[in-house]
Amino acid sequence: MKQRIGVYICHCGGNISDYVDVEELGKMFHQEENVVVSKDVMFACADSNQKDMVADIQANKLDAIVVCSCSPKLHLHTFKNVAARAGLNPSNYVQVNIREQCSWPHSDRPREATVKAAGLIRAGINRVSYSESLENIELTVKKSALVIGAGVSGMKAAIDLARSGNEVFLIEKDFFVGGRIAQKQTLFPTNQNGKEVVTFLYNEMKKFPNITIFTGATVEKVSGSLGNFSVDIKVKPRYIKPSADKRSVERAMGECPVTIHDDFNLGLVERKAIYKNYPEALPDVPVVDAEALKDAHDFTSKFASTLNLNEEAQTLSLIAGSVLVTTGYDHYQPKEGEYGYKTISNVVTLPELNRLMEMNPEKLVYKGKQIKSLAFIYCVGSRQTKGDNKYCSRQCCTSTIHTSLQLKEKYKDIQTYHLYRDIRTYGKQELMYAESSKQGDLYFKYEEKEMPVVSVDGKSTIVKVKDYLTAKKEMEIEADLVVLVTGMVAREDATTISELFKIPIGRDKFFNEIHPKLKPVETVIKGVYIGGTCQGPKNVSESVQSSLAGASKITALLKSGTVSVDPIIASVDANKCTWCGKCSDVCDFTAIKEVLFGEKHVAGVNKAVCTGCGICAPVCPENVIEIAQYTDNEIESMIDGFMMDFDIKEKGTGEVVEVEEEGKVGMKEYPLVWREILAGMTAEKNTIPEIVANTKLAGELVTFHLMTMNRYGVVVPAGMDAKETYYYYKRK
Amino acid sequence: MSRVNPKFATELSKYGSSDFNACFNCGNCTATCSLSTADSSFPREMIRYTTLGLEDDIKASLKPWECYYCGECSSECPRQAEPGELMMSLRRYLTAQYDWTGLSGLLYKSLPLSITAFILTFVGVIVFAFSVGFELEKMIHFGHLFEGIAIGTIGLVILMPNIARMWYFTILKPKTKVPFMKYLKSMGELFIHMFTQKRALGCDDNQFRWFEHFILVIGYLSLLFTTVALNWFGTSSLFVIVLGYVMSAIVFVVTIDFVSSRIKKDKAVSKHSQPSDIFFVVWLFFMGFTAFLVRLFIDLDLLEMNKWLYIFHLTVLVQWALIIVPFGKWTHFLYRSFAMYFAKLKEK
Repeated sequence: MKQRIGVYICHCGGNISDYVDVEELGKMFHQEENVVVSKDVMFACADSNQKDMVADIQANKLDAIVVCSCSPKLHLHTFKNVAARAGLNPSNYVQVNIREQCSWPHSDRPREATVKAAGLIRAGINRVSYSESLENIELTVKKSALVIGAGVSGMKAAIDLARSGNEVFLIEKDFFVGGRIAQKQTLFPTNQNGKEVVTFLYNEMKKFPNITIFTGATVEKVSGSLGNFSVDIKVKPRYIKPSADKRSVERAMGECPVTIHDDFNLGLVERKAIYKNYPEALPDVPVVDAEALKDAHDFTSKFASTLNLNEEAQTLSLIAGSVLVTTGYDHYQPKEGEYGYKTISNVVTLPELNRLMEMNPEKLVYKGKQIKSLAFIYCVGSRQTKGDNKYCSRQCCTSTIHTSLQLKEKYKDIQTYHLYRDIRTYGKQELMYAESSKQGDLYFKYEEKEMPVVSVDGKSTIVKVKDYLTAKKEMEIEADLVVLVTGMVAREDATTISELFKIPIGRDKFFNEIHPKLKPVETVIKGVYIGGTCQGPKNVSESVQSSLAGASKITALLKSGTVSVDPIIASVDANKCTWCGKCSDVCDFTAIKEVLFGEKHVAGVNKAVCTGCGICAPVCPENVIEIAQYTDNEIESMIDGFMMDFDIKEKGTGEVVEVEEEGKVGMKEYPLVWREILAGMTAEKNTIPEIVANTKLAGELVTFHLMTMNRYGVVVPAGMDAKETYYYYKRK
Repeated sequence: MSRVNPKFATELSKYGSSDFNACFNCGNCTATCSLSTADSSFPREMIRYTTLGLEDDIKASLKPWECYYCGECSSECPRQAEPGELMMSLRRYLTAQYDWTGLSGLLYKSLPLSITAFILTFVGVIVFAFSVGFELEKMIHFGHLFEGIAIGTIGLVILMPNIARMWYFTILKPKTKVPFMKYLKSMGELFIHMFTQKRALGCDDNQFRWFEHFILVIGYLSLLFTTVALNWFGTSSLFVIVLGYVMSAIVFVVTIDFVSSRIKKDKAVSKHSQPSDIFFVVWLFFMGFTAFLVRLFIDLDLLEMNKWLYIFHLTVLVQWALIIVPFGKWTHFLYRSFAMYFAKLKEK
């Protein structure tokens, strides 16, 4: 219990004091037990006042302080720092918000605002008197990082992490590095070849002995926490003997009789069952599709010294101090029949067109027909006001326009039509849009409610669109190829990664950062960062920016070998714990595990993992879990404080105004919920479900408040119902 | 349902404008235009029709004629798509479409062809002069006769059918129902615009441009009247002689300003001058100036020198009457006023 408490009540230059009688409150709390200093100040946050507070704390040997001003979001750290400067543990500080919660919302009722402020301050004083001095938790961390996904984001981050002296494990699900950019022949705005960028980054990584790359690898199991993640990965076999020489492998590739679906070329062509994504793909070792070759006995026996179709997958364990997830995105796959996709022969997606362009260096030919005109339909799978993908995929406008410029440059005599909803070529990309329209590309604006229709008319394909730029005239466009500009969606396996690392997923199914502006690459899991398009649609430069931000965060985190984390976490009273496992079941972060305490099995909290969310505390049947700074003592004393009676004088008159009596609780006016619950108790005695039905309040809310009302003697239990399921309650 | 035709843009660029593809449909041009109204808004709509190649809509539209080219839209355009010049080019295009002979289009699109036509007419005049032994009297007599016949023939054979075609494209084909009485009641509109070009006063740029143009039209029409009906070169009436001097002087003095601004390219309207625009003002200048000198030489009795001067004048006159009037820019005098008349008919 703190016995020398200082209370500071802020005027906020009139923001508070115009409605709340802060001077009166200052005098009033001076008489409180354990309060040594209580004063009203013009601006609590002002430098001069901060100095006065430090002086007060030291002169009066204060052991706790309460500042009653604005939201803790604004000034919690300001006053925590004041406490620290005065030599007080910052946990012995409580902020009470009497501006956003009293003066501003109740400016029409100054006296009630003052009553409420008095209650809140009293609650704050009670809470701080139970506060304990807490120290940040120091954890030892391993200077190694796991980067998941070797696309452009992952590779750039790996290089940066390695350069800063971290050990880096880069794992890639595919057998070759590069991800999506390898599928783009020209990247905007530099017109670099995606494959060349991949080769450059791969060679760059090879210069660092502290980068280990695993291809064909997936994460299987994750345990541990910040500083010491233990990750099991499974590395799939390539089925090529390590002893095989390069020439025989190449011969096997050349002679392979079986062809399979070419994932890299999005199924536009087939590839051999021994393949590389593209000739220069890295690492420079082909992969064998063992399943496809299982019946080609003649071939496999001929190359028995090269191939090993019985090779097994390996499982490896890695220890990493921190994790950067750069797993990327999937292209939206149009449903069959969406704008004629798969039902009309010359409808493709933009990624497919990009593959086609690379495969056709001279003339653009699709299914044997030369393509002279293309109609692009934008926003396919994005910005669906009624569908799943409500977001804008951000890069597709520019990507399409860039493709359009490339088409003209490469194939000269070509006409493109662009059916868009809004053109979002933000930033410098706008110049490409100007260039595109200047070269004669035609733009049509459609609305989601009147989507373009693709149809076949004899030998030609017609796109019909209601053009909002031409007074909604119906236009017919004849196009040799219809290109669906598909957006980005979260990877199919994003949920697996999310479950393994406990990264929250948004409604859009992309990974969620903590805060889009202030913590853009951090996740709620300490030590796990996200970068690139696994977080949401981004173009290449934005992806790299975010993954490099993540890499810098990790470097800074691991630099000293230890990290300091917030002490607001759960703690279990091991003496009383009986290990039922309920807390562990509800924990979203797997922070609670069964541990041995002497002879006894009890719940143990992993300090590095616990976020202090508090979900475990109420489920504990023994009530032995406490959350630091939110202990039962603190919370209950706050309620007590808030419910106490006050004589609040009307400002200026000095008179004590009698407040109408209603019930017999300390607070003169019930919280609104209490009134509603009381109104809902229509019969002489009611069970909780009856009250819930009468009030339309949530069941948990009624239960919680009824317990409190019982505690303050507003209601009392009155026996059980016939089935002995629920208690009856009645007004006291 | 309209079929998009991107090839139209290439066709139209032969009439001058080529930057309209840069348009991103912001509508600043329409917003800034002082003649555009809610009921009849342009030029954005015309740019859109052009980029998409909606020929039928363009042919049915009177809007190109409703623009008097102050150039504000072009200077406000954030994409430098030159909407004002597009409207100008559409007027050339429409002139070619209205012309049943198709010669307008050929001459607009090909400078060599225009020059060939000018040379041929010049050769014709020389051959004629040779045939009458370069006798001034006979030449002037023929010249006067030619003027009368040319006006009648060109008007009847070329211009009237072309106006009819314009009516067909803009009223009949789009199925606009106009009661017969409306044709009569709105007739006033036609003459007001023909003789005053009062719509140009709505342009923000300057009233001086309108005034200059107005004076020129009056001067030109009066000169035409003086030479054709009053036989200026043959008359001895002092009033007619003085009137001719004044009118021809007005024509060549005002055209000096027009020609010089076409050369200096200092105004938006003259920045993108096509050969047809240059021919029009230069030939108008020559007409006024040579007519003035021919009459002056007659009065000063400088017959030998006047012979050659008259051949020059006759060449200009013949080229004017056979090339510029029926197939060149002269027609805008008719189409603009008829467009205002037809627009009135279309009004609900």
